[in-house]
Amino acid sequence: MLATETGPIAFPILSALIFIPIIGAVIVALLPKSRPEYPKLVALMASVATAAMSIWLMASFETSEAGFQFVSKHTWIEAWGISWHLGVDGISLFLVVLTGILFPLAILAVDPHHDEKPYLAWLLMLQAGVMGSFLSLDLFVFFVFFEIVLVPMYFLIAGWGYEKRVYAATKFFLYTMFGSAFMLVGLIATVAIASRDIGYTTFDLVVIAEQANFAASTGRWLFFAFAIAFAVKVPIFPLHTWLPDAHTQAPTAGSVVLAGVMLKLGTYGLLRFGVYLFPEASYWSRNLWLTLAVIGIIYGAIAATMQTDLKRLVAYSSVAHLGFIVLGIFAFTTQSMSGSTIQMVNHGVSTGALFLFVGWIYERRKTRQISDLRGLQKVAPIFAAAFMLVMLSSVGVPGLNGFVGEFLILTGSFLTARWWTVVAALGVILAAVYLLWAYQRVFHGEPDEDNKKFPELKIKEGLVLLPFLGLIVFMGIYPKPVLDRVQPSIDALIGRVEDHTDYVQPKPTIELVDHSQEPANPEEEGDG
Amino acid sequence: MIAVIEPTWYLLLAAMLFGIGAFGLMVRRNPLIMFMCVELMLNAANLTFVAMATRLNDINGQTAVFFVLVVAAAEVVVGLGILVSILRRRPGATADDLAELKG
Amino acid sequence: MIASLLAQAGDWTSPSIDWAALAPEIVLAIGVNIILLLDLQLAETKKWAIATITGFVLLGSFVAVVVLAVTGDGARSLFDGRYVVDDYALILKALFLLAAYVVVLLSQTELEEGGYYQGEFYVLLVCSVLGMVMMASARDLVSIFVALELLSIPAYMMAAWNKRNRKSNEAGIKYYLLGVFASAVLLYGMSLLFGATGSTKLTDIGAALLDGDLIGLDVVAVVFVVCGFAFKISAVPFHQWAPDTYEGAPTPVTAFFSVATKAAGFVALMSVVFIAFPGADGVYQPLIWVMAALTMTFGNVLALRQTNIVRMLAYSSVSQGGFILMPLAFAGEPGVGPAALNAVIVYLIAYAFMNLGAFAVVIAVTRKTRSGEISSFGGLFSYAPGLAVAMTIFFASLAGIPPLAGWFAKFNAFKAVLDAGTTAAYVLAAIAAVNTVIAAAYYMRVLRVVWMDEAPDGDTSPVKSPAPVVAALAITVLGTIVLGVLPNLIARAGAIDALTGAFAG
Repeated sequence: MLATETGPIAFPILSALIFIPIIGAVIVALLPKSRPEYPKLVALMASVATAAMSIWLMASFETSEAGFQFVSKHTWIEAWGISWHLGVDGISLFLVVLTGILFPLAILAVDPHHDEKPYLAWLLMLQAGVMGSFLSLDLFVFFVFFEIVLVPMYFLIAGWGYEKRVYAATKFFLYTMFGSAFMLVGLIATVAIASRDIGYTTFDLVVIAEQANFAASTGRWLFFAFAIAFAVKVPIFPLHTWLPDAHTQAPTAGSVVLAGVMLKLGTYGLLRFGVYLFPEASYWSRNLWLTLAVIGIIYGAIAATMQTDLKRLVAYSSVAHLGFIVLGIFAFTTQSMSGSTIQMVNHGVSTGALFLFVGWIYERRKTRQISDLRGLQKVAPIFAAAFMLVMLSSVGVPGLNGFVGEFLILTGSFLTARWWTVVAALGVILAAVYLLWAYQRVFHGEPDEDNKKFPELKIKEGLVLLPFLGLIVFMGIYPKPVLDRVQPSIDALIGRVEDHTDYVQPKPTIELVDHSQEPANPEEEGDG
Repeated sequence: MIAVIEPTWYLLLAAMLFGIGAFGLMVRRNPLIMFMCVELMLNAANLTFVAMATRLNDINGQTAVFFVLVVAAAEVVVGLGILVSILRRRPGATADDLAELKG
Repeated sequence: MIASLLAQAGDWTSPSIDWAALAPEIVLAIGVNIILLLDLQLAETKKWAIATITGFVLLGSFVAVVVLAVTGDGARSLFDGRYVVDDYALILKALFLLAAYVVVLLSQTELEEGGYYQGEFYVLLVCSVLGMVMMASARDLVSIFVALELLSIPAYMMAAWNKRNRKSNEAGIKYYLLGVFASAVLLYGMSLLFGATGSTKLTDIGAALLDGDLIGLDVVAVVFVVCGFAFKISAVPFHQWAPDTYEGAPTPVTAFFSVATKAAGFVALMSVVFIAFPGADGVYQPLIWVMAALTMTFGNVLALRQTNIVRMLAYSSVSQGGFILMPLAFAGEPGVGPAALNAVIVYLIAYAFMNLGAFAVVIAVTRKTRSGEISSFGGLFSYAPGLAVAMTIFFASLAGIPPLAGWFAKFNAFKAVLDAGTTAAYVLAAIAAVNTVIAAAYYMRVLRVVWMDEAPDGDTSPVKSPAPVVAALAITVLGTIVLGVLPNLIARAGAIDALTGAFAG
């Protein structure tokens, strides 16, 4: 299962993905104040290098391999079996790529209002933290990065956000810290209990997952200690209240990153440290999660409909979209879980882009109130068209990426969680309602005096948007390359759940990826 | 030969002295009296040491008392020094007056 | 009666003393006298030299500790096992000396500019450090008591050092009265313990308590002793003196109290708990459990509402004490002992660096702003980015954010507690988890002011920090980061089983 030397190259690419942003951040912080032109250059170089490496990683990823690849493992604290253990599999691969791509775009897209140097340094630290969280296969290392992420985000929101930024940043920090405090206890307890089965103390995720045998009740307690941290991060209803504030008050780049990758720490955590580590407990508690996910979908959609602030609307739409992802995870079918994994990336792309648009609108008009905006389509048609495309992707229109994810989640979930899926499908309709309605109010009609001077999309902005639009269309039309890489890992994960419970995955009704054309998949055969 | 008093009585006496000292320290507000209460408590401990040493027939308890006596003397010197410097600035101050720092 | 006692005395022969093992103490004792005598001779203009000499004395003692650690072949036992120089003692001695050295660096300018009594101050400081260094080795009730008083009595005077300041006076008398009260409680407990077990030597007491059931006298004695130490480590409900004393005393002295004297209290408590009380774990464990839970919670909740930074740090130090205390509540569980000991030592080391560092920043900034209010730290990032970054490192470390020393210490403490695996352990860990969040709230509040707010009076002239303060900052920043990134360095403190071995065998 654990592929130690599958990587075709000896270069420690995963460690580099983490350390290049850190080095970049340190250099940015140390640059003298007298040279204001360098920080941005250095930050861009560091983040573009990271992006390039993440794409290279994707290209050299073995498609049909379910286990972890590019594994690098070095002892860190020997006494406790803590090691610098990194690896990537189908679930984390695209999140890593997304993290790599989003940051340079976010840096390029918007300039901070003041103090560019610390702003860029914090952004790079954030990138390193998020990368580390997605890549680490050691509970200790994961927790370290999971916590590190908080600090730069706190400073980004509190330092470069809008009016109520300090309140929002503090709320964000305390909510997340609250969750992770329980995770810390759960994590150490997991290690302590697992060490009795394994015979020695280790924080290695793979070793614990494969060798430890938690009693059902113990496993459930531990699972909830982890899950609470991830539920805050996702955020799952009713722990979501920090999100609209944090999103609305964060600077544009902060919102893009927050929606794009940071929320995925939660859903990724549920997959990797929830389902993978505690298959029994997560299957046992599935109804709770399904219910909360569906409540989140409907609640997020209704709340979004009622917003007057465009950014807050997008923020609530995130609550709804993340609900779909959780639904897919806890439906435990190959389709729904693959759909969730893809939807994590899709949501990052489309909501990230939506936040960019909102940021640009705010820069031009100094307002985010929907009622202040009117008829922008007339004065800025290209801007409107691009917005339209991104919005339709968020709605889930066929042919664009959002459709692929939501369709997979819904068809997959229908097999095992029928009624929840039926209610969740309503959320798709509501998404169309609030987004199209918002589009209509902002872009249609006759522009008034203030809106007549609305500038068209700039070339720089267009260039930043190109990768987003390209991904939206590409993944909508041809998701196979992504699915090919995601599915083996998902199958292996479901196999684990089946091994530990009496759950048997029902036969899928629709085969999106034709298995007969692929090389034999060992995991599939094993599951029979 | 004087009638030997049981060590238990010494222990009881010491416990009472300790109690009186602790009680006094909490209710009295004159810093000097509070010092005296502390002395009472320390000497209760000394008495216990001696009584126990006698009962166990072990000289270690007696040596401990010597150390305590010396230390207690040093302690009182310091305490009185601090007290004098306070009373110079605020004549007649009681413990309740020393309430600039709170919260 | 007297005759029989004298007869025992007749057997007394002069013990053979391993003078080399006492080298750190001897260096300090000689150093105290040198400083005292030099102070009489030096002209007023040359008083600054005293601080340098004090630094060298501490350094000399530190070298002696290092030499002992490198050349040492196991534990050196003196005076029939009543004074032991083992790895545990040496690590803590090094910690005390290092902390004292940083405090000397911090005191230097403060004393020179305040026109305080420099020579005497350093004499008392070194005396107090001598007490701490002895405490690490003391394995007998009497030597523990003497060491405790040797470190406390100078500390009372240092608290009241600024004698023309009413706050400093008040800090001194409060510290004194409660400190002496604690000593009396402790001493009374010790006398009962002596009566119950027939010895003042910790190993004998341990053997006696393990032997047979506990009687009422044992229980009372153990409770009194633990409560006596609880004052020194400012554990709730014996913490009332701490905030007042910390606020009133000169800031370098506060730094010294919050780190060094607190650590000394913990050291004494550890020696007693691990060597003398293994038979009484049913008594001290619940007691420490309750104190740890109360200490971290009260300290945090009260710290939340403070507006003065020193006072906030005082309450934060109370609550950190709760975290340090936490593993000791399970010291008697099978298999947890070494982990608990390691956790406390690691926490003490990490805490020394980060808390001294936090005070160093406060001293550096208040030299300019002349105000201890948190709001006066506004705009620090704009006019002193270096100090702001250092402050961020220390406060983030105190809040337990990786990869800094404080995070590893917290992690270690949690791990020791959860190793116990009992329901009580899980409950305490959950309480501690909630407390880390509360603590993060007030640490981040300060950082928010430092980074986001404007300077309150618009004064953004740069801060000029004197060289000793910069040196202190460098030491503490380095320590905080290195211990966080390479925790292997102190995780090895887990190899100290000499102390736990004392009762296991």
